Amino acid sequence: MTVDYIFDFLTGLLGGFLGSDYLLLASMLIPCLAIFGFITVYALIVIYAELKVSSFIQDKVGPMGQGVGLHAGKWGLLQPVADALKLLLKEDIIPSSADRPLFILAPFMIFIGAFISFVAIPFGESIIVADLNIGLFYILGVGSIAVLSLILAGWASNNKWSLYGGMRSAAQIVSYEIPAGLSLIVVIMLAGTLNLQDIIKYQEGGIFNWIIFDNPFVPIAFVVYFISALAEVNRTPFDLPESESELVAGFATEYSGMRYAFFFLSEYANMFVVSAVAAAGFLGGWQSPFAGFMSTPAWGVFWMISKTGFLIFVMIWLRWTLPRLRVDQLMNVCWKVFLPLALINIFGVAIWTVVFNS
Amino acid sequence: MSEDIQLLIDDVVAKALAGDMDPINNIEDRVTRSKAKAALVKAKRFQPQIEVDSKSVQAAEKSDTESKQTIEQIVIASLSKNFSDFLDGEQNNDWVQIKAENWFDIAKYLKTNEDLYFDSLQCNTGVDLEQGMLESRYNLHSMKHLHAIEIRIKVSIEKPDIPSVESLWRVADWFERETYDMFGINFTGHRDLRRILLPEDWDGWPLRKNYEEQETYHGIVVPKVKEGWE
Amino acid sequence: MGVVHGQEMVLNIGPQHPATHGVLRLQVKTDGEVISEITPYLGYLHRCFEKHCENVTYEQVIPFTDRCDYLASMTMNFGYVVAVEKLMDIKVNDRVQHIRVIMAELQRIASHLLATGVFGLDLGAFTPFLHMLRDRERIIDLFEMTCGARLLYNYMWVGGLSHDLPKGFVEATLNFLDYFEPKIDEFENLLGHNKIFVERTADIGIMPAEVAINFGVTGPNLRASGIKWDLRKDDPYSIYDKFDFDIPVGQGIKGTIGDSWDRFYVRLQEIRESVKIVRQAIDQLPKDGDVHQSMPKKIRPPKGSIYSRTESPRGDLGYYIESDGSDTPSRLKMRSPAFTALGVLDEIAGGWLMSDVLAILGSLDIVLGEIDR
Repeated sequence: MTVDYIFDFLTGLLGGFLGSDYLLLASMLIPCLAIFGFITVYALIVIYAELKVSSFIQDKVGPMGQGVGLHAGKWGLLQPVADALKLLLKEDIIPSSADRPLFILAPFMIFIGAFISFVAIPFGESIIVADLNIGLFYILGVGSIAVLSLILAGWASNNKWSLYGGMRSAAQIVSYEIPAGLSLIVVIMLAGTLNLQDIIKYQEGGIFNWIIFDNPFVPIAFVVYFISALAEVNRTPFDLPESESELVAGFATEYSGMRYAFFFLSEYANMFVVSAVAAAGFLGGWQSPFAGFMSTPAWGVFWMISKTGFLIFVMIWLRWTLPRLRVDQLMNVCWKVFLPLALINIFGVAIWTVVFNS
Repeated sequence: MSEDIQLLIDDVVAKALAGDMDPINNIEDRVTRSKAKAALVKAKRFQPQIEVDSKSVQAAEKSDTESKQTIEQIVIASLSKNFSDFLDGEQNNDWVQIKAENWFDIAKYLKTNEDLYFDSLQCNTGVDLEQGMLESRYNLHSMKHLHAIEIRIKVSIEKPDIPSVESLWRVADWFERETYDMFGINFTGHRDLRRILLPEDWDGWPLRKNYEEQETYHGIVVPKVKEGWE
Repeated sequence: MGVVHGQEMVLNIGPQHPATHGVLRLQVKTDGEVISEITPYLGYLHRCFEKHCENVTYEQVIPFTDRCDYLASMTMNFGYVVAVEKLMDIKVNDRVQHIRVIMAELQRIASHLLATGVFGLDLGAFTPFLHMLRDRERIIDLFEMTCGARLLYNYMWVGGLSHDLPKGFVEATLNFLDYFEPKIDEFENLLGHNKIFVERTADIGIMPAEVAINFGVTGPNLRASGIKWDLRKDDPYSIYDKFDFDIPVGQGIKGTIGDSWDRFYVRLQEIRESVKIVRQAIDQLPKDGDVHQSMPKKIRPPKGSIYSRTESPRGDLGYYIESDGSDTPSRLKMRSPAFTALGVLDEIAGGWLMSDVLAILGSLDIVLGEIDR
């Protein structure tokens, strides 16, 4: 695991000066900082992408400028930086009637949920912070922390709109985790493991060995997973917890400045996590689409990031195209369509495997 | 519009003015029919209004001269069969002036009578007539017969009580609240007579001619000398 | 508000809320997501229009009418000048009439574009809204070309117009219409036939015809309930009887007659009809005629009163004018179509989910400036 490599490396370098406890701590902190840096840079890029993609969909130019100065840089490249700075510099307001400790805790909790998911995401053959043997299960598990913090934020704000947002997100995320998990069971059945690296290695050898093309049931499982993942990260058409034309801003109504930025950041981080799981589970992760073509470890990172990036692009695309569902329709789709579909998939894949692959 | 259609319309309008509405109603093409009806409305508007006394109105009601009467005369004739002593002061060809007392019953009759069938209250407004009188005016309209009438009810400023018609035409709910808000006309029987546009604690009735602005509002002095902005 | 039961919560939607289209406060009683009772509180935008009118001359009223319905100022002007002209018995020449119709119909297109776009926005569809605003902008450019203003025009005057059409206006308008007509189909496909949009609007907020008439609802909202009632046809003012156009009514294509989807669709169809009218009016536009020809030197209507109705994009716009023979109106009342449309909200939206209530509110197309006056 990466922590072990770093520990060994640090021991070799500094073993004479520091005790092994300090080195272990340092070797744990380094990947954390790396992930944090990655999330920050990634968020800036995806905010820019969201602005530009939405602009092209909406027939406008989006952030534009000719250089640094009053404008937002060449092609508006500085716009996400300006947005981030604005959020950082804003006054931090806590409503007097809010439940202060919980109000402060909520944005940190949601960020922690997104942050620790990154630990198990495989970026390349050897680039993974912790190669857990239950990686997929772990990501599904820690992903649920988000729902706690959303309820917390909704309750602690002491605002009726926030409460509505919190309750909606609780119902929505808890429901949609079931079809998402059941769709991933298909992947686990085929690969025979919960380890994400092993799942990816199972898909070696070009595009037709990817799990999504394994048998006719898996594409359905992929679609079910992707839509459920959309609902889990509260993106349109499932952005009910923060639907701005109904609930003002949902659970985030009373948050401003840096605390709001944390909600924002973790939404984008969660988008990356669910897209990366989809890429690893269904689309071959860091494997090249063509056997032997651009398949060195460095290209592996490229493939992983571009597959994930494509799925994130699809999410942005959907957001700016579709209206929002109503809360009961949302539940109907989950329990009456996706859940049976996911169960049928499991049976279908099981039967298919027994009949054709034995 | 082609000439054939124009001729057809002229023909049916002439017939309708003579009292026979069937040719118009039998026109198949909806556009032409509505054009003909529009032409009829126009033709009626320019027809000389004939002075008819009340006896001949009743006599004429069954005859085919309906189109020659103004709608006001028809309404008065129809009402006088069912109500007595409802008219207030001298009448006019543009409106019907009635007394406040049985306005609710009259309104109910106007709304439900098959020949009148004023199913839509277009507008309700108050007017300050000065000399201590307020007036509430109702513009009624029938979606079925496409005729419209104005009803006026005069009340004294000391006791501005008019029966509410809110339960007949639900649109009157807000109209009456607005008239109450602006003129202080008290619509008796209204289920929820509150101010609608002004704050609940406002003093006075702004659209009365003798309205004086309040000195202070919530402790803020209202400026009397308005410079620059008015 | 009555009694609040143990399970219920009183919630204020507004005065500052993204879905109330202005400053409107809806006090609602909610049980979870279900809204059982809606009480609108108005007056946050009350600017004493009627009181002002009693203190200014007839021509000075026109800019105030602009500011009542700021999304359809041209038709607001139109209704007022028609009323005063009827009161004074002024006949204006054909060129003026045609220009007025062109302006009013362009304004109707602009207003309906905004109404349908904002309706989509209420349901979370951001993109159609911006596409519609893009085309509305081109209409506003035409208005700017004509009278210099982009929102509050003060263009139609009693007995005439403030300016004649500028050079190149006719070509620019025809260009716009050629560009715009295919876009209407695009809007219909983009928003109207979107599955989620249909799910959110069909069978939601059904307004039966009797309810609509009883509550005095007019305009596209009434026509969506299946009643063919349009003052341009049924009580033609100006020169509307010279044009050939249809009145779209709700047919319940996706659900029941009178649901939110019908209200949306009727507006979209009306845009098509308005395009037809503008084309005809441009075809028939007389070359000569002074737009100031029949303007009276002093507007002093004879003693009397008039109730005049015109069809604004939101419905029957009535002006009740009581004249005492002086040059200021003794009483001027505007019968606002959005005012009555908002009155029906509790009747058709009570008992629906919160998301539906805001969708129904969006489908009624209210403008608070006109409601509060």
